[in-house]
Amino acid sequence: MSYLNIDAQALNTYDAIVIGSGISGGWSAKELTGKGLRTLVLERGRDVRHVTDYPTTNTQPWEFEHRNQLRQEVRDANPIISKCYAFYEGTEQFFVKDAEHPYVQDKPFDWIRGYQVGGKSLMWARQTQRWSDFDFEGPARDGFAVDWPIRYADIAPWYSYVEKFAGITGNKDGIATLPDGEFLPPHEWNCVEKHFQSKIAARYKDRHVIMGRAAHLTQPKQVHYDQGRAQCQHRTICERGCPFGGYFSSNSTTIPWAAKTGKMTLRPNSVVHSIIYDEKKGKATGVRVIDTNTKKMTEYYARIIFLNAAALNSNLVLLNSTSNRFPNGLGNDSGVLGKYAAFHNYRAGISGEYDGDLDSTTDGRRPNSPYIPRFRNVLKQETGFLRGYAAGFSAGRSSNSDQSLVGADLKQSLLNPKLGGWHVGSHMMGETIPKESNYVALDKNLKDPYGIPQLKISIAYDDNDDKMVKDYQEQMTEMFTEAGFKNIRVRDDHRNPGLDIHEMGGVRMGKDPKTSMLNKWHQLHACKNVFVTDGASMTSTSTQNPSLTYMAFSARAVDYAVKEMKKGLL
Amino acid sequence: MAGAVGGLISLPAWANGWTTETVHSTHQILSRGQVNLLAEMVETIIPATDTPGAKALNVHQFIQKMVADCYAKPAQETFRTGLDSLDGLAQKAFSKPFAEGDVAQRTALLTQLGQSTEPAQKNFYSLVKGLTIRGYMSSEYVMTNLTHYQFIPGHYYGCVPVQAKAVTQPK
Repeated sequence: MSYLNIDAQALNTYDAIVIGSGISGGWSAKELTGKGLRTLVLERGRDVRHVTDYPTTNTQPWEFEHRNQLRQEVRDANPIISKCYAFYEGTEQFFVKDAEHPYVQDKPFDWIRGYQVGGKSLMWARQTQRWSDFDFEGPARDGFAVDWPIRYADIAPWYSYVEKFAGITGNKDGIATLPDGEFLPPHEWNCVEKHFQSKIAARYKDRHVIMGRAAHLTQPKQVHYDQGRAQCQHRTICERGCPFGGYFSSNSTTIPWAAKTGKMTLRPNSVVHSIIYDEKKGKATGVRVIDTNTKKMTEYYARIIFLNAAALNSNLVLLNSTSNRFPNGLGNDSGVLGKYAAFHNYRAGISGEYDGDLDSTTDGRRPNSPYIPRFRNVLKQETGFLRGYAAGFSAGRSSNSDQSLVGADLKQSLLNPKLGGWHVGSHMMGETIPKESNYVALDKNLKDPYGIPQLKISIAYDDNDDKMVKDYQEQMTEMFTEAGFKNIRVRDDHRNPGLDIHEMGGVRMGKDPKTSMLNKWHQLHACKNVFVTDGASMTSTSTQNPSLTYMAFSARAVDYAVKEMKKGLL
Repeated sequence: MAGAVGGLISLPAWANGWTTETVHSTHQILSRGQVNLLAEMVETIIPATDTPGAKALNVHQFIQKMVADCYAKPAQETFRTGLDSLDGLAQKAFSKPFAEGDVAQRTALLTQLGQSTEPAQKNFYSLVKGLTIRGYMSSEYVMTNLTHYQFIPGHYYGCVPVQAKAVTQPK
């Protein structure tokens, strides 16, 4: 009898398990399989195959029944996800509906999720900036969170490694606060953006306006052709999935690459209930998976586990992985699991007009825009708030017609629009300070449709964020004024945390097991064969769009894990 | 379109060949008479000239679908009530139902509606006008033949002299 169970166990045993197939899980899968490990990739959502499962990717604008507007019943049923800028008629299929995976908002929090193979890498905004030591040294210098156990030198070669494979467009700007990467040719500036750049450079030594760095193939290299990808066609409908593979996603790049090795088993519709901890062996031995179709629970086993479920769901998995050894969640000896969560503050923006450069305009579409790296409190503390913000910036001209007309005159005006003036705009991306009081935990009573406790989210802005919003508005007003922009208007939309879609932390890295969950290799201090390399591992948030850093984290951690395995240490 | 990356693109059959006509509205919120009246209204706003007008492009059907599916009940009510009042206004203005007025009479009436400060009239008119313009400008005919929308290959040229730019793409 017993060998039947042994057979079943052998059948469900792999060298490695990756939980999640989004931007970090895709990288973990690609690296693990590339190093020859038989790898099980678990994805809670359905499969989404590159190209064939992008139902609206070649839909023309007029083919959308509602011209991409959401139906009223969709908005009524989904007040949370309907707030997301990328959620519209053509992308409804890629976002988690409000009722699908309920959570408890202890404080208002818009949790934006994509449950499918590829996760949110399918619909992400594709901005990719490196961290520098000005970011990694933040917590230690300014006395918040805990010191990062790594520095730029640890991660720099891995940034290069993932950038070359993913394909990143950008310009080598030589700015210490935002290190250059392995760039494909940059996107073009328009005249007013150039004007702004030169005005800011003339007025401020420490403020730079640069072209955005983004995961687009402006000029593919052989490795990208080998992935089956082609040059970005500037369609700017990326979130519907790209048949050219013009931008990086797990679906277009890492998952097919991992599949080609023959070492990957991809299992969609697999919600991870918990990680199995073996007290005798003193390590994790596998995971408990609920099949979303059958609701049946199955166990899978492996020597190492990469947890890449996206920041808050990685917290949820660890919190729900309880044992005698870890009654408060796997690896949670310190009690910090779920705590010190943070995000990016996107509340503020500014707009204006410019009446110069009227003899020039733009032609076409650009899936990217200029970027202003953080300039506040970089070299030393100099304001009444901690840390700072980066900013997006762009300029464009509108074409106007006289819509007060009726009849043939209106038609004539619509078909022969007059070029309007230049509009300029910017939005902030502020660093928020991780605090013990910003946390996620398991709700004691409420369960999700699979019987797993719901996540209670208790995350809010604080006084530091308010001050930063005000400073962004003041400084950008000054900069816009310097550039001669008129009709300057600032805004603070008071959006809920979460809508930034940059939630981070809860399973933070640190040097001391008493105050952190992960060591410098992303291993749980207390359970060395479990690695967390997604947003959950972030000790602080700085101001960069975080995905590139998760890619580098994943590749670096896999490299370490496999070396340790070969030494027999894992 | 498939040329750029060879065999990579394979589309499900249903993704091809959608037109406004083949897409079925989820539910009708207008009577046949109201639909006909709406057709005359959108045709007055954007008439046939040497190119088709809003009616021939089925903009009235598009509007009905949009209001039925994408707007809340109060807006739907404003829409229906507004349509029902149109013939009454036409009778007052030129002693005929709206559809029987000549182009000048109908245009004058809608121009006058556009200047109305009465909330219900104002809301009705701006709803229909806005959706007429949207439906017309985003129709296959206009985007393909008149504004020359390019799906691919795309580009971005940052600094183009104004005179050299021949075609403005709608957003």
